[in-house]
Amino acid sequence: MQCHELEQILEQGPAPLPADAATHVSACARCRGLFADLKAIETVAREFPGEVAPPEHIWVSLRAQLEEEGLIHAPVAAGRGVGWLSALFGVLPRPALAAAYLACLVVGAILLSVPSSIRENPASQANQMQPAPAALTAQLNTVESSALSGIHEHNPVVAASLRDNLALVDKFIALCEKNLREDPRNEAAREYLYGAYQQKADLLAMMMDRDASGD
Amino acid sequence: MMTQRTWRVPVMTAAAALVLVAAPAASAHRMEKHFAVGERPVITISNHHGRIEVKSWKKPEVVVVGNHNSNKVEVDTEQAGNRIEVNTHLLSENIAPAELEANYEVTVPEESELHVKTDSGEITIERVFGDMTFDTVVADVQLQEVAGYMVVKTIGGSVLCARCAGRIDVRSFSGNVRFLQPQMDNVRVETTSGNILFDGDFLRRGIYILKNGNGLIEVRFADTDSFDLSATTVNGTIENQARIKPDVHGRHSPSARFKTSLFGTVNEGHAKVELSSFSGTIRILKRD
Repeated sequence: MQCHELEQILEQGPAPLPADAATHVSACARCRGLFADLKAIETVAREFPGEVAPPEHIWVSLRAQLEEEGLIHAPVAAGRGVGWLSALFGVLPRPALAAAYLACLVVGAILLSVPSSIRENPASQANQMQPAPAALTAQLNTVESSALSGIHEHNPVVAASLRDNLALVDKFIALCEKNLREDPRNEAAREYLYGAYQQKADLLAMMMDRDASGD
Repeated sequence: MMTQRTWRVPVMTAAAALVLVAAPAASAHRMEKHFAVGERPVITISNHHGRIEVKSWKKPEVVVVGNHNSNKVEVDTEQAGNRIEVNTHLLSENIAPAELEANYEVTVPEESELHVKTDSGEITIERVFGDMTFDTVVADVQLQEVAGYMVVKTIGGSVLCARCAGRIDVRSFSGNVRFLQPQMDNVRVETTSGNILFDGDFLRRGIYILKNGNGLIEVRFADTDSFDLSATTVNGTIENQARIKPDVHGRHSPSARFKTSLFGTVNEGHAKVELSSFSGTIRILKRD
């Protein structure tokens, strides 16, 4: 079995692997990593609270990005009733799937950092940042580690730029979070924080894309 | 003592020898391919490192000239109807940075669609009219006298757009973005920490959205430019030379959300200009 054939199988969504696919996964480090990532994401997705509902602009932004990358063609809003991540899981075609999942995770991390009381009542006294669930943070770290370890070192300038820019985005995220901690009602800072996480997702997706296409 | 005439001979011989030795190294692997195409061909170029120059002519033909020195990379071209693909493949995992380099000179019909992806080096596009996408890590992108809908995605590469027309979306992380004498009616730039310079006219009905996390955003406007202006920053500063009136279109300014903000109309407010920075500097300067 070839890597692309395994990807076609993984496109079908979470299911036990056929024997030949399992053999390939055990023999191919890259596919083993991809499979492990997807399993971990699936596990985290199952832990998502059912009532999580992304704000409209986040949903629109995510949908636009998925459409732009050719990952979805049909409106996904119809799937919201059955859980937004589950809906995506079922309809996404495979290419760059990890990137899409990553975007979902990042958006989820942001959503989970905003208590529902704030979504319903922005002036609420509970308007404070909440840490993302540990499992989600761990998963994001795993994806980040995977992206970093996949950097090809044969072009040191490119490798350094990828690392430097990831550090840059992390620094920007920290700055936004600091502002938000100091002034939890600062909606502008919160919007920049949304954007910063999206930037991180974009950057990790670009890194993973280059790792996958590097021949 | 050597006369002037006698020392010239060994020097010239040595020079000739150098040329003979150097010539094969400079074009160790050179390929030139010609493709007959119809109207608006689509050209896709994928490279790792090197210079990519695309120029146009009026012939319905695409010419690709590729040069690389290493045996560890291979250049591959393919034509499928009106679609041309140019790819650089790495043939080895053990490859030194210098061996990655492949340079391309591509000549295309004036009206062509381009898709260019490379990690490092330079991309230069001149006088091509059509939709274009660029995807780089640190490669710089220079667009000169191009027109169409352009999408540039770069991590740390700079973008220069000189005398461009049409519309453009730029997404960068640390790369600087500059527009010189643009004739563009839709410009959207978002960068994490790069500087953004827009030195040109704001066209009537144009929309210009420039945003960064930190760094400098500078726009230079003419007295005759007509635009609605929104400039906001959470922790940065705004320097303004525009004579601004209250927004004539009745838009409410969400200024309370920002530490520093500026909203209003210059002349009749035909174009829309939105400048935002988290902690950078926004400069709105009058052009000399």
